[in-house]
Amino acid sequence: MIHLGKAPLIFGLLFLLAFPVIVFRGDDRSDTLEFWIFAQTHYDEFSARIPAFEAAHPGVKVELRLISKLHDKLLAAFLSGIGGPDLSEVEISSVGRFFKGTKEEIGFVDLTDRIEREGITDEFVQARLAPWSLGGRIYGLPRDVHPVMLLYRHDVYEKAGIDPASIETWDDFVRETRPLARDDDGDGQPDQYPIMLSAHKPGHFWLMLLQNGGGMFDENGGVIIDNDIAVSTLEFYCSLLNEEQLAIPEFSQDPASYAAMKEGIILGVLAPDWYISFARRFVPELEGKWRAMPLPAWREGERRTSTWGGTMIAVTRQAENPDLAWEFAKFAYMDDEALANRYRKTFIIPPIRSAWSNPVYTEPEAYLDGQVLGRSLTDLAPDIPGFYLNPYWAEANDLLRQAVYEAANGIRTPADALSHLAEQVRALRNNTTETE
Amino acid sequence: MKPRYAPYFFLAPFFALFGVFMVYPLFDSIRLSTYSVRGMQNQTFVGLENIERLIADPLFWTALWNTAYFAAGSLLLQLPVALALALLLSNARLKGRNLFRLSFFSPVLISGVFIAVIFYLLYDRRYGLVNRVLGSEIQWLQDPDLVMPALVLAGVWRWAGFNMVYFLAGLQSIRQELYEAAAVDGAGPWQSFVHVTIPALKPVIAFVVITSMIGSFQLFDLPYVLTEGGPGNASMTMVMYLYKHGFEFINLGYAATIGWALAVIIGVISIIQVRLFGVFREN
Repeated sequence: MIHLGKAPLIFGLLFLLAFPVIVFRGDDRSDTLEFWIFAQTHYDEFSARIPAFEAAHPGVKVELRLISKLHDKLLAAFLSGIGGPDLSEVEISSVGRFFKGTKEEIGFVDLTDRIEREGITDEFVQARLAPWSLGGRIYGLPRDVHPVMLLYRHDVYEKAGIDPASIETWDDFVRETRPLARDDDGDGQPDQYPIMLSAHKPGHFWLMLLQNGGGMFDENGGVIIDNDIAVSTLEFYCSLLNEEQLAIPEFSQDPASYAAMKEGIILGVLAPDWYISFARRFVPELEGKWRAMPLPAWREGERRTSTWGGTMIAVTRQAENPDLAWEFAKFAYMDDEALANRYRKTFIIPPIRSAWSNPVYTEPEAYLDGQVLGRSLTDLAPDIPGFYLNPYWAEANDLLRQAVYEAANGIRTPADALSHLAEQVRALRNNTTETE
Repeated sequence: MKPRYAPYFFLAPFFALFGVFMVYPLFDSIRLSTYSVRGMQNQTFVGLENIERLIADPLFWTALWNTAYFAAGSLLLQLPVALALALLLSNARLKGRNLFRLSFFSPVLISGVFIAVIFYLLYDRRYGLVNRVLGSEIQWLQDPDLVMPALVLAGVWRWAGFNMVYFLAGLQSIRQELYEAAAVDGAGPWQSFVHVTIPALKPVIAFVVITSMIGSFQLFDLPYVLTEGGPGNASMTMVMYLYKHGFEFINLGYAATIGWALAVIIGVISIIQVRLFGVFREN
């Protein structure tokens, strides 16, 4: 047999020593802030800001980490109690899963008192704090407002003699744009559609529902997704897709929808601020042909916008120095010039009212035929609807997808689909432990 | 150090990692499947309630049916394609066969997410290549009756070349004398294939069938990116359903129960296949 001497012993000891060092990093990291983000554009934005923060806080180092599947990994860190960052971004469609269980189990630091102490509560668009709050406590700073407008082909409208100013309500929209849904080739299907609405994903319906004053839960956690507002909104939504044939059943972020826009098949899109920059990027051919108008209201004189998407920054309870993390959160999210730079690239409006006085928001936008988009967005921003988060948000949102699919494809009537959905969400609530 | 202890020291790191990251979670998931988990720490013992809930859960049965459909589709479509490719590419007279082998094998080198994106574009109703070739406007991914066949076809594209390599290796190990003997006995190409090739490939076929079945039951990335389980729940698979409960709804107890149900189903099917093929039987 080969004589191995002490090699195995040394090898084994090295492993035993290395294992805890790898797993439990023992170094003092109280002056290091680890910040998890999920988007490359956010990474680029914050990378540029970090040197200034580090210069203002000598000895502090900010480690920016672009994390794929961030929400799964953050959740794993919360469940295990180790390995989480000091700060993290969270996207609005994933936030519900972090608010399960009791308040003590929520992995984010309650920022309510800090925000109040800073006197910045009123600075924010109030509706924008709601998605990051539970039981009246705020767990994250909003990064955006995402007011929604209707992106429309003004060249086509002009040719057809449609005055956008005459479209004040959704009924006006149906009446005015009906002539645009033409069937030139006689195949029984329109060759161009005034609007794009998904028959499989709930995003478009959700923003129309919020605009109409509906939602999934009320402020007390009651299920309201089967009330009259929700039913009439879904009925209207389905009628645009089916009876009226004014809506093409596509989803705004699919490559096919960009191709259909280029071909002139899609003439209108429900567009939050960020989506307008997507259109500029993916459909540059239509520069100067689009313009954006406020959403048609459900009833005359009512809300002309909605909201879609969003991100927050949160301090985690695993942060070794939450005060320092809070300082960075404010620094990262509330600097006027950084927010103005972001607007130039993404059209994203900040949730802080004082930032809107920056001249960048009055610049004409060539993609929209010289329209002053920033001002239109900031005018609408204070009016965006809020909605209430709930521990069953993730499940309810998943069930909403099914309900919209069933109603839009004629499997159930809108009333039946929503009633079935509400029943399932209520059952969830009755079967599970609630956040106190 | 005494030499007889040496192997244990060399094996220790593997067993330590295996114990921490495989054995412990495996046994803890059994415990977890008897709990209702809501929130990060809140666990309540519920005994067999999760199993009762699973049996009564229509979505679980939908996911099981979809997964079984994909597995059956893979077996019936993908493996014959893989074998046919292997037979074609084992022909010594075929020019550039190494290039063909690489081409057919290469999809397996691409990540599932990327393949899903490619097929998303291929299957598009208006602009997709599939409909352009067929001259149709079929909604492959939006029609509940077509979405699973569309996934099976994507699976064939991804895995047929990979399984082809196993069959190629198997074909190369068949002794030429067997074919010569069959020819002397008057066997034609088809008879040689049925009476020489297939019996000689039996261990390879058994391996490919069993591993493909296990892989098919673990299907996740393709439908997750391509359809998100839709339309409705028409392409929801068992692992997707497990993921939803585990990572979106934080219902870890129920997710663990789904996981164990999946393990039992795979185990039972694998045992049946092993017996049918006589894998561990001598001669």
